[in-house]
Amino acid sequence: MFSPATTPARFLDPELLARIGSLELLARAVVEGFMSGLHRSPFTGFSTEFTEYRQYNPGDDLRYLDWRLLARTDRYFIKKYRADTNTQCHLLVDTSASMNYAHASSVTKLQYAQYLAASLAYLLNRQQDAVGMVGFAEKVHTHVPARNRTGHMRTIYGNLSMLEAAGQTDLAQSLHQLAEILTRRGIVVIISDFYDQPDRLQEAFQHLRFKGHDLVAFHVLDQNELDFDFTDPVLLLEDAETQEQMPVLPDVVMDGYRERMRKHVEEMRRCAAANHVDYEMITTKQPLDFALFSFLSRRSGK
Amino acid sequence: MSFLTPLFFLGVAALAAPILVHLVRRTRARRVQFPALVFVRQVPQRTIRRRTLQNVFLLLLRCLAILLIVIAFTRPFFSGGSAAKDNSAAGATVILIDNSLSMRREQMFAEAQRRVEAALDEARIDEQVALLTFDKRYTVINRFTVDKTKLRSAIGTLSAGWDGTDYEQALRGAESLLGEVGTTGPKRIVMISDFQAPGWNHASATFKLSNNTQLTTLDVGGNNPPWNVAITNVEARGVVFGQKYLDNLVVHISNFSDTPKADVLVDFQINEQTVEKRDISLNSRDSRVVEFTGFNVNEGVNRCTIDIVSGDFPTDNRFYFTLRRETPAKALIIESASRGRSDSLHLQSALTTNEDLPFTFSLKSTGSVDPASIWDYALVVLNDTGPISPALADTLTKFVSGGGQVIVSTGPRTQLESFNASLQQITPATLREVVQTKAGESVAITEVKFDHPIFEVFQESGRLASANVIGYFRSEPRANAAVLARFEDGSPALVEARTGKGRVLLFTSSLGSSWNDLPLTPLYLPFIHQMVRYAGAREENSWYGLGQTFTVAKERDAPPPAVDTPSGARLSENRLTPDGDLLVTAREPGFYRLRYNERPGFAAVNIDGAEGDFTKLNFPEFVVGVTGGAGTAEGAPANNNLSREEVEGRQKVWWSLLLVALLLLLAESFLARRTKMVKMIG
Repeated sequence: MFSPATTPARFLDPELLARIGSLELLARAVVEGFMSGLHRSPFTGFSTEFTEYRQYNPGDDLRYLDWRLLARTDRYFIKKYRADTNTQCHLLVDTSASMNYAHASSVTKLQYAQYLAASLAYLLNRQQDAVGMVGFAEKVHTHVPARNRTGHMRTIYGNLSMLEAAGQTDLAQSLHQLAEILTRRGIVVIISDFYDQPDRLQEAFQHLRFKGHDLVAFHVLDQNELDFDFTDPVLLLEDAETQEQMPVLPDVVMDGYRERMRKHVEEMRRCAAANHVDYEMITTKQPLDFALFSFLSRRSGK
Repeated sequence: MSFLTPLFFLGVAALAAPILVHLVRRTRARRVQFPALVFVRQVPQRTIRRRTLQNVFLLLLRCLAILLIVIAFTRPFFSGGSAAKDNSAAGATVILIDNSLSMRREQMFAEAQRRVEAALDEARIDEQVALLTFDKRYTVINRFTVDKTKLRSAIGTLSAGWDGTDYEQALRGAESLLGEVGTTGPKRIVMISDFQAPGWNHASATFKLSNNTQLTTLDVGGNNPPWNVAITNVEARGVVFGQKYLDNLVVHISNFSDTPKADVLVDFQINEQTVEKRDISLNSRDSRVVEFTGFNVNEGVNRCTIDIVSGDFPTDNRFYFTLRRETPAKALIIESASRGRSDSLHLQSALTTNEDLPFTFSLKSTGSVDPASIWDYALVVLNDTGPISPALADTLTKFVSGGGQVIVSTGPRTQLESFNASLQQITPATLREVVQTKAGESVAITEVKFDHPIFEVFQESGRLASANVIGYFRSEPRANAAVLARFEDGSPALVEARTGKGRVLLFTSSLGSSWNDLPLTPLYLPFIHQMVRYAGAREENSWYGLGQTFTVAKERDAPPPAVDTPSGARLSENRLTPDGDLLVTAREPGFYRLRYNERPGFAAVNIDGAEGDFTKLNFPEFVVGVTGGAGTAEGAPANNNLSREEVEGRQKVWWSLLLVALLLLLAESFLARRTKMVKMIG
């Protein structure tokens, strides 16, 4: 399916990943490609139990080099360890109808959210963390509790792949609901377009934080939601969730819209910062490694 | 406002196009699902309403542009009402209707009649109107009357004639008629014509309308005159004496259009039998000359025609003329009785070398001439005779008075006193003295009247001066004599005088080689022939122009013959000359048949060749010419004085409308680009 000569970065392009039918394969491709491109292993401190040797690759941390083996055989080997499970993570995916939007890209926001969630799940699973998954729109409709068992990932991937965009968003209500459901503290990753009032979201964030969760928010948007770049002189815009129609002159509306969207993103960023939520706004055009790197870099700091 | 081509109003249907486009295009706004409608909703949308209005404005612009284009194509113009209607006092109007030959073009005269009707409709009830027709002359059909019904019935009887056009004469007639009517109202001349350029000569025009006369021109000829090839003239000798026609019969053919014409077939027929055909080509505005010669001519009067096969105005494609072949009359050369070589050798030779001379000559000496026999001849040539008998001199005097022709030449044998004494009654000049040049010297014939029929053949060459004259008589012309040529010293060389009904030509040198070398030069033969032809000439044209009057000679002891017109009608004119000959005015082209008892005669009549030139008159020049200056005369045609086409052509409203439409379209294009036409549902 993929050429060996293909660079790992190509695997992270969402539009190429969309060709992979299986989320499991997709997640593996993303994470392995992502990992091999890193010069420094992100797993430092997580693992304690030796599992196997492997050939040293440039970029590997010299702390794990087996110096004795080097002295005996004059060969470079790295000692690999298996990390212990020490936390659980819930991946919250917004499946409201607005997530079904894709403009110039062939990847909808929901698809992107699915890829991202699958990749994060794979990554976390490799760290021996328990991974759970929640799908919600007006309310929670799918909930896979966090586990670290053999075969659990398939449940995660299966449920992720079955998500479909429908219904209206009530993000704050859903987060309040989840705050009550998720009793054990852990990491809560919210992947959504966050079309809700920041004030209400702030309350929901505080609720989750109060329950002891670490929150990570991926604000997924289509690039055109930021740019409002339409070539048509006039459009009849239809709200994906309410089916409300509205005639619009793009060239007239564009500047006002951009300004309002920029303010919304800023408000979200401010709201997240105020509640110690790791917030990242990403577009469906951006490679997945951007989100993964953002996630790992923020987590490594904690 | 009136419209020249109202049919183009059908183009208003094109207005449906922008309206349909507007209605159809507005339903094609793309429907797009968009998640962030909440932010879009917050942006003020008043612009849409404004743009909707702009759309309507653009639609209106487009519709207006189309409407203007449609109206432009209908050629609108503003026509004012009749001037007469605007004045309190009733005026007088002279309606001039052109019935010249060119008005015979298809339906043109009917259109002119319709225009007269329209002019009568426009006239006030109490307005006095007179009706005149004109071609080269004008004819009063109706003097001033307020009875329009009478005028209308008169219009129906009119038809186009055959003659040429003269606008100046027509205007003179109209103004003269206007002078007869006493009115304080406006005086107006309505001229209805096809306005051919040949009908008015700006260079020679002197007539101007008075300041209080208004001129209205109604053109029925259209703006694009048709092409036309016409025979404008035929130069032919009316009378020949030999079987062969040895001169050149010259046909002038003109192309009056801007289009070159190829393969124009020229067909020359005598008595309806084709003699020769020629194929010619004519450039635009070109004239060609076609010559025919050497064809046989039957005895009597021959009806000849030149036809050009051309699909244009057929009336001027045939030219009629006659060729009469007559038996030569008898002529006598009298010379002095002398031994040795005859002095008349050269003269006799010259007069017998050409069969196409009006005379057959015989030669006698002065001693052998019986004076009584002189009456058998039509021409007598006294060639250096010396003294003649009183009886012969007396007979010659009577001969000339009765219509005989005499040519006298002097020479060494001519005796001054005897000559002057015996021929004093008929000689054009009195001889004074003999002039003999010194040995080796000579004089030339220098001062020549080349416009005289005898010398016109020398006009181009001018070689008459090359003859060397060593002897001649100085002479003093009679009071009524005409000197046709002089020697270098001013002394008359050839003198002509009429005596009674006859004519005498006196050559003061010799016609032999005694006193000059003329017989030895190439000039001699044409000189002698021209002199003889002139002496024997009979005034008979090969054709007449329309309007010309020709004479139909009566038969001996009988009244003038009956005359049939070319259309077959018997001529009822009975104007006679004092001699009893019939005077006939040519009224239609073709052959007039002269019903003599013995053998019928014919007279050919042709139209004015210039009438085939349909080139349009220069209106501004014409109006300025006849009114005395643009803008100064009341008669300068205002828009309402012209035909609909002329008014429209001058106003050029369509041009302005198209310009405005273009500007509207430019504005529409600019606005449409800026606003990107809003198309909305509902």
